Amino acid sequence: MSSSTVLRELQRDFEAKSNDLSKLQKDISKNHQVRKKYTIQLGENELVLKELDILNEDANVYKLIGPVLVKQDLAEANANVRKRIEYISAELKRLDGNLQDLEEKQNSKKEAIFKLQERIQSLQAGKAKA
Amino acid sequence: MGESAKKGAGTVTSLAEMFPAEDAQKAVKRVQEKLAEIQNELHRVRGFISDNSNLINLVQKLPEQLHHNIIVPFGKAAFFPGRLIHTNEIMVLLGEGYYAERTSKQTVEILKRRGKVLESQVESLKAIMRDLKAETSFFDSTASEAAEGLLEITEDYVEENSTERESESGPPKEDAPNFSEAEKAKVSVEDEEYARIMSKLDELEKEELEAECGNETVEENEQVAVDDEEYARLMSRLDELEKEELEAEDEKIKDDFNKLPDQKSLDTNLRHSEGYQSRELLEQMKDKKSATEEFLSKCDPQKDLTNQLNCMGLAVQSVPEDEKSHGKSLLHNVIKSSPPEKALMLPEVKENVQPAPLSRSEVPAESSKPGFDAQKAFTGSIIERTHNTHFNSSQESATSSQSPSSQPSKPVSRFKMQRR
Repeated sequence: MSSSTVLRELQRDFEAKSNDLSKLQKDISKNHQVRKKYTIQLGENELVLKELDILNEDANVYKLIGPVLVKQDLAEANANVRKRIEYISAELKRLDGNLQDLEEKQNSKKEAIFKLQERIQSLQAGKAKA
Repeated sequence: MGESAKKGAGTVTSLAEMFPAEDAQKAVKRVQEKLAEIQNELHRVRGFISDNSNLINLVQKLPEQLHHNIIVPFGKAAFFPGRLIHTNEIMVLLGEGYYAERTSKQTVEILKRRGKVLESQVESLKAIMRDLKAETSFFDSTASEAAEGLLEITEDYVEENSTERESESGPPKEDAPNFSEAEKAKVSVEDEEYARIMSKLDELEKEELEAECGNETVEENEQVAVDDEEYARLMSRLDELEKEELEAEDEKIKDDFNKLPDQKSLDTNLRHSEGYQSRELLEQMKDKKSATEEFLSKCDPQKDLTNQLNCMGLAVQSVPEDEKSHGKSLLHNVIKSSPPEKALMLPEVKENVQPAPLSRSEVPAESSKPGFDAQKAFTGSIIERTHNTHFNSSQESATSSQSPSSQPSKPVSRFKMQRR
């Protein structure tokens, strides 16, 4: 009856691993969403930067902070937007790295699960014969 | 094909096995979902574009009047009448909470730039849609093919298969590549192929010779005219092969040609001949045996024939035959002259096309080697032809010995059948 205990252990292992896998997949999808958001923001900021570059030096620029429009220096606004773009790019890079990591983990998990499945199946087949 | 199948190189799997119909259909569904998504996105962006153009119109019209009477929304449900003043001052949201004070004109410029961005987005979406549509149709066809029970046949490509080669690469293309191969492997499989081709040619030649021999005694000129046409037909086919060769080797041959000492006395009649090599050959013959010249002058009425024939080495064969009828001593002269010519030419051949070891090894084994003339069939160098002449005219049965792989059972050659 040792084979049945082994089988049970394997199945437990299998379940744990599949849980891990689903967690990883969730992380990956979250990562995708965040990335999407950041890419959109990056595009918007780039548009803003373009427009700010086109503006005259004496143009009035305001920033909406909460419910109020605060007047801002054009140069200041420009610098702010640039910083924001830098930050978003760095963030995107970080997310990319994370995603790669997660995908690697996912693949290795998948492989492990596949192997486990095979073992379980072979065990079950052996049991059926015996 | 059949041969490779015999070897067991091929595998046959049904397409349905590799791509089950349901899977393909699932893929189609998935792609179609994506397509619908993209279509929605496209619709959204199109809406933006129309909004944008409406806004541009509005902003352009605003400064036309000092003030506009409007209904101002107040809260969720209330409106009250108001007046829009400062019609040329617009606060434009640039994005990310940044606003800029702009005139109407400047605003229109900003809006137009935004419109351009939207247009580019539409373009990219359309491109994606095209890709997805192609994917859908591919999956669709795969699904239907799988449902129909299409079979996928994979077979290893067998390069050594000479019959396949022949059918795949037509004769005109064959000569150049095969030569390099012939260089690599002395008597390779290709030789057989050449031997077959050459055997056909040999048969044809033999028949030509016989016909000429027989007819010459009766009406030489008429026969020549008939032969002329026949040759022209055959030659035009062979010319195509030859021309490629010639183009490649023209220069080389020219060089060799120039090396020959007696070239300058080249017969003007022979200048018409298209092939350098035949010129060369005839010249050599002339150099060695003035008898040949005599013969050629004798054959003057047939000059055009000779010229046509000259483009192939075949001419040489027919010429000696003519000679034979005229005077056999001449023929013998020519024949006797051929071996020294061969000796003379062989180094040239070496230079031209063949690696030294190959041509050397061929000299002793020439009669026994089936692929000998075949290997050199379209080189554009004369020796083989001279050689052939030697063989064909001196011993006409040599054709069979030359090409053991030929079809001796075949009574009439393909060419001959065409002729008659």
